[in-house]
Amino acid sequence: MTHFGVTVRETRERLRQNDRSYSLRQVAQRVGVEPAYLSKIERGDVAPPSEATTKRLARELGEDPDVLLALGGKVSSDLQEIIRRRPRLFADLLRQLREAPDHAILRVVREVRDGDW
Amino acid sequence: MTGEQIEGMEDTRQMITLELDRLTFRFPEVHPDAACAIDFQRTLRIPDDGDDYPLPPGLGSFPLRHVDDYLAQLPDAWRRRGGVLLPMHQAEAMWLSFDSDSGYPFAIKVATGKICAVTGDAWAERLNRDPQDYLVVPEQPWLDGYCVEKGLIRQFVAMPLGAGYTVEEQLTGAAEHGGLQIIAIPMKRERYEEMRREETCRVAYDVAPDVVYGPPTESAMGLAPGGRMRQEIYDDPHGLDVWDQRHFSRCFVSIVNSRQWQSITGEQPPTEPPTAAQYANAGLPWFDYYRDLDAVEATDKLKDTSSVAAIAAKKGDAPLPANQTISPGNVIPIGSRRPAPRRRQVREMPHA
Repeated sequence: MTHFGVTVRETRERLRQNDRSYSLRQVAQRVGVEPAYLSKIERGDVAPPSEATTKRLARELGEDPDVLLALGGKVSSDLQEIIRRRPRLFADLLRQLREAPDHAILRVVREVRDGDW
Repeated sequence: MTGEQIEGMEDTRQMITLELDRLTFRFPEVHPDAACAIDFQRTLRIPDDGDDYPLPPGLGSFPLRHVDDYLAQLPDAWRRRGGVLLPMHQAEAMWLSFDSDSGYPFAIKVATGKICAVTGDAWAERLNRDPQDYLVVPEQPWLDGYCVEKGLIRQFVAMPLGAGYTVEEQLTGAAEHGGLQIIAIPMKRERYEEMRREETCRVAYDVAPDVVYGPPTESAMGLAPGGRMRQEIYDDPHGLDVWDQRHFSRCFVSIVNSRQWQSITGEQPPTEPPTAAQYANAGLPWFDYYRDLDAVEATDKLKDTSSVAAIAAKKGDAPLPANQTISPGNVIPIGSRRPAPRRRQVREMPHA
């Protein structure tokens, strides 16, 4: 099994303990794939699904879509587009932050300014 | 010092970030789990005809942009407020979606034009319990409008500020602020940890003021009460003492008329949503949400506000196209009798 498949299966099974609508069949139906295909994904018999399917799966399972995409070896297309628009700037930024601890990265995250109202 | 400071308490405002058109509130100083996100959902405008309707679907998030990115294109007052910009077509509706992935509880106050959407009171940052002027997340997954009766809201509908329709104008007589204002306050760390331990064990106004409208600002929009919808505002099951009012984050969401959105941001605004009749005729789903929790009563202030259609009838105006009565046939019950759901409740059209 791949890490992607294990995560999907474990998350779905954990949700199913309290809610039977998280059966393989019902989750597959809500995500828009065949149950047999979802089963193969969970077992790692096939490659992780497309970006769109992974995002729907993440939403259905309450997982972060970027994390699930990363487990599937993918980067969200909107992030790719951000880098493509200003490749030098963002490539430099990401390389500089590669080894930075989480709290240091959070400090450079842009804040929504709260003004006077 | 900006805004009202909570008396006797140090102002420890925390960070809000904009992530994929969602406002994310984080309080790492309170607890690593203390984070919640709010997004603003496009939706159908339900008929403003006196009937009670079920919950309409979410049609995707409205785009949000930093005010600071467009300072040269915005009036001084907007620049001072900071926050974010959101585009809406006139007479378009919206609902707010609240999401706390970890299940960390939050008290959230929502105001339009600096008037509380739950009580109709003027904006205040401190939480009040009598009457309750805030929502409790994750118990409350959504807010679609103003609490006008117990279990009933009037839908948030965008109208130009200065035309007399907004709740702000109806209750204050002034068209000054518009937009939406939000403050998020996390639960106290100790109470949260206590709850987690408990969970582990178990697992096992009477007369309207004289209205003097200011000059309408061409692109400024406010929110007004539209059609009636069945939605409960849940009573706080935790009590006022559990909220850590020393820590809070707040945001002003300025609403821009979609016609001006492109000239400000250079981006196309979202297209107008389908009408409620088109949606219902296509047999697409509506929703009915149930939680086994008490709901708050409405205050007289909000009960006494008039809907857009009622004001328009008095003015001889027709601001609501496609307002005919409909019969939503496909109503899907969703909800839970269990305590706070950890997963996000889905309220959207099924995938094609």
